[in-house]
Amino acid sequence: MNLRINFSSGVPIYLQLMEQIKHAVETGAIRASEQLPTIRKIAEELTMNPNTVARAYRELEREGIVEVRHGLGVFVAGQQSSTTKTAEIRKAGEVLRIAMEKGMALDLSESELRRVFEDELAHLQEKAAATRRRT
Amino acid sequence: MLLYKAWLETRWRFVFLVGSVLLIWLTPLWITAMGVHSGVPATRLWMAIQMGSVLLFIFTAIYLAGSGINTQGIYTFTPGFHGSMLFTLSLPISRLRLLFVRAGLGALQTCILVVIMAVYIVHLRPESTSALQALIYLTRTIVCTMAIYAFSVLLSCVLDEIWQVTGAFIFWTAVFLLQAKFDWVAQISPLRGMSLNCYPITAPMPWEAVLGSLALAVLLLWASVLVVQRKEY
Amino acid sequence: MNDTLIDAHGLTKTYSGKPALRGLNLAVPRGSICGFLGRNGAGKTTTLKLLLGMLRPDAGEIRLFGEAVLSEAASIAARRRIGFVSEDKELYPFMSVGQTIRFTRAFFPCWRRDLEEKYLELFRLPLNKAVPKLSKGMRTQLMLLLALARGAELLMMDEPTSGLDPAMTEDILRALADLAASGETTIFFSSHQLAEVEQICDRVCIIDEGQTVINGELDELKSQYRRILLTFDGKPPSALASLTGIDHLRQRGRTASLLTHGNVDALVERARDLGPTSVEVRPVTLKELFLDHVRGE
Repeated sequence: MNLRINFSSGVPIYLQLMEQIKHAVETGAIRASEQLPTIRKIAEELTMNPNTVARAYRELEREGIVEVRHGLGVFVAGQQSSTTKTAEIRKAGEVLRIAMEKGMALDLSESELRRVFEDELAHLQEKAAATRRRT
Repeated sequence: MLLYKAWLETRWRFVFLVGSVLLIWLTPLWITAMGVHSGVPATRLWMAIQMGSVLLFIFTAIYLAGSGINTQGIYTFTPGFHGSMLFTLSLPISRLRLLFVRAGLGALQTCILVVIMAVYIVHLRPESTSALQALIYLTRTIVCTMAIYAFSVLLSCVLDEIWQVTGAFIFWTAVFLLQAKFDWVAQISPLRGMSLNCYPITAPMPWEAVLGSLALAVLLLWASVLVVQRKEY
Repeated sequence: MNDTLIDAHGLTKTYSGKPALRGLNLAVPRGSICGFLGRNGAGKTTTLKLLLGMLRPDAGEIRLFGEAVLSEAASIAARRRIGFVSEDKELYPFMSVGQTIRFTRAFFPCWRRDLEEKYLELFRLPLNKAVPKLSKGMRTQLMLLLALARGAELLMMDEPTSGLDPAMTEDILRALADLAASGETTIFFSSHQLAEVEQICDRVCIIDEGQTVINGELDELKSQYRRILLTFDGKPPSALASLTGIDHLRQRGRTASLLTHGNVDALVERARDLGPTSVEVRPVTLKELFLDHVRGE
């Protein structure tokens, strides 16, 4: 897994980590039932706080993406059909392309568009996390 | 371990002083070697040694008190220089213990030097001195030197080393001048208590000076403890 | 097992007429890495010295490991479990590396020889070299070794990476991350390097002019704080300043920048009611959070 965190971003680090792990799972870089690196290993490799890594893993477990097997480690959950995932990704790509074309029509530059996208994404993630916390 | 640290800190100083004292031991030999001895009356030599020894005791006491507990401390008067005091204070030791070990070692070193010198002086004395007399001389000299030492310890709790040394010298010079003018100062002055002009060498035992010095030493050390416990670093 | 290792309330301290701390509050939970940020002279070093008993507070309460520190004896008891790295990294100039380690070891009955050897090897510290001959980086590493080998539960540092090159800085941060991962040590350090704090800390405490202005988990702060950028046709309406929920407001020309946390959507709605031509909501970086809270605009 090739993890890269932007520590200076306004996006919480645990969210970034979650996103990257989810992405790795979706693209098949790490497959179902494979073991993820230990918290310590990731903290050491990225020179970051292990509590944050632990939080990311906890949230991923809550979302059902990974499962924690006591004493053994953290593993990618279950058998996800890669074909459904690829189809879903393609559908999302189409929806986004339409939105982006509309954005370009509003005379936004590429970087402005990207910024709007990231902000909206962060906002959505926050909402989801907040909802999960309340339940 | 504090003793180890205090020793490492002061060992060169101590060695230098011991070396100086031993050099002074050799003075008569030099004088003889230079062929001057025949012309110099014994009393003259004796007086020179007397004054020299008092100066030596004073210097030793001040120098070995050094920067006391403030070793490499935060220098209030030389701003911008921070030292290892923060490291020392972050250790789980009481300030009292810090003071006692550091001051204690310095006191021991001073006493050793006084003993070395005092033995020599007694040995050189024109008329012979009994062992008891020598012991009494030694004791009173040590007590008086301790008063000087204690004063420097107190100063070192509040001043940087260079200021402590300067301040101490100025103070004792003032005492020296004053004791020539005022009798009561001379009565209790540690400087007089150390001098050879007293028992058992020539004159009666300077009780007031000795007791005064003892009291002064105790008082000053107690003051140092108070200062060190309240001080902010 | 107490959960809050450092708990300070209302710390007040005046130095030669100037108030250094004015009712500062601080809470550092066990197991966290907490960054202590503030401008020069905000009171960071003063706080550390108060916690260690080098200074006495004029007012306020300090609890370390759950126990109130009211006497020198209590402070000494706490210091047995704390490791400290000072800003200037000054040690005894008349000792060598080995002598300094032997000296420090004598005060801690629970000294961990294994950690001493581990860090000696990791940092490659030469035992016989005199301390004054060490570079600042190596002195920092030596101080870190002395603080960690004593088995300290709490590590307090004053600007640990100041004056260090990026490679050594990374080494220190990695040692801290590793330390936190073993779960035995809580770390509290002051710093000017926002980048490092963002990288390694899970908690952050920002102080300004002797008071705490921000204290919380870094990720939570990034989740809660938002910047709302508004552009208006003319100057922003004065009603903008009286909207509730604004932490910090800056106006320049036709734009207004609002810093807020908590109920962001409600504030966005109220801001929209004032008729701006554009509304943009953005996440906030630690740098922005810091500057907005300490620049006193």
